[in-house]
Amino acid sequence: MTEVAELNYRRVHRAPRELIFECMTTPEHLAQFWGPSGSTTPIDGITVDLRPGGVFETLMISEVDGSQYTMSAVYQDIEPPERLVWRESASGMVTTITFNDLGDGTTEVVTHQANVPAHFRTPAARSGFATSLDRFDAYVAALNAANPHQDA
Amino acid sequence: MPVLEDELSRTLSALADPTRRALLGRLAKADATVNELAEPFALTQQAISRHVHVLEQAGLISRTRVAQSRPCHLEPARLDAVEAWINEQRQMWAERYDRLDRHLERLQSRPAKRERKP
Repeated sequence: MTEVAELNYRRVHRAPRELIFECMTTPEHLAQFWGPSGSTTPIDGITVDLRPGGVFETLMISEVDGSQYTMSAVYQDIEPPERLVWRESASGMVTTITFNDLGDGTTEVVTHQANVPAHFRTPAARSGFATSLDRFDAYVAALNAANPHQDA
Repeated sequence: MPVLEDELSRTLSALADPTRRALLGRLAKADATVNELAEPFALTQQAISRHVHVLEQAGLISRTRVAQSRPCHLEPARLDAVEAWINEQRQMWAERYDRLDRHLERLQSRPAKRERKP
């Protein structure tokens, strides 16, 4: 049987892709923007061992209550300045970021996230799956519209 | 924080199958028994039962006993959890890249020769 969920997110940034790749792989840059909102990512809580099999960790501290969360991942593929792939240890979430030079001083950054739970991680299981989160989104919205909640 | 829980994984896995999505689409219109669900599909009642079991385990449907039958009922709460997770992920990346934009702007508005403290 198949799995799971995919997220595709596309952005165009006004900067050369070498610089963007550097920002995504250097603790002093990551500390400036990694977030998420409402949390800080101190530079000494970021580990970037930029090689396949190397560790990518970010410690995120909530500005609200000081609670901490560590995103712990392992790099799977690194092709500067074109491609970056890591896998989160806890969830099995694989994030692939592709950097495309658009030739006019801008760079298209495509973020792809897919989660493949451990018990589905076999070649046979993988071959079947192609469900994008975008389509999930529309699908779920349609289902909910067809069957609105009854407020008690 | 974006943590993918086991329960959510199970729901997403259940949703990844096109037959099961079709079954949910059918149940979105009205409750139905396994017999009724099997009708439009070229699948045995046994195969439909297996899909129904997966959906039930994933919390996407519930089954009640009415007289001799056990009609399936869509549970939209689990779908809400999926939708919430999708939106959370998208929002997180959107905000992250917003901040990256501002960071890139700052970097590139500096003089060509960057000065760094020793």
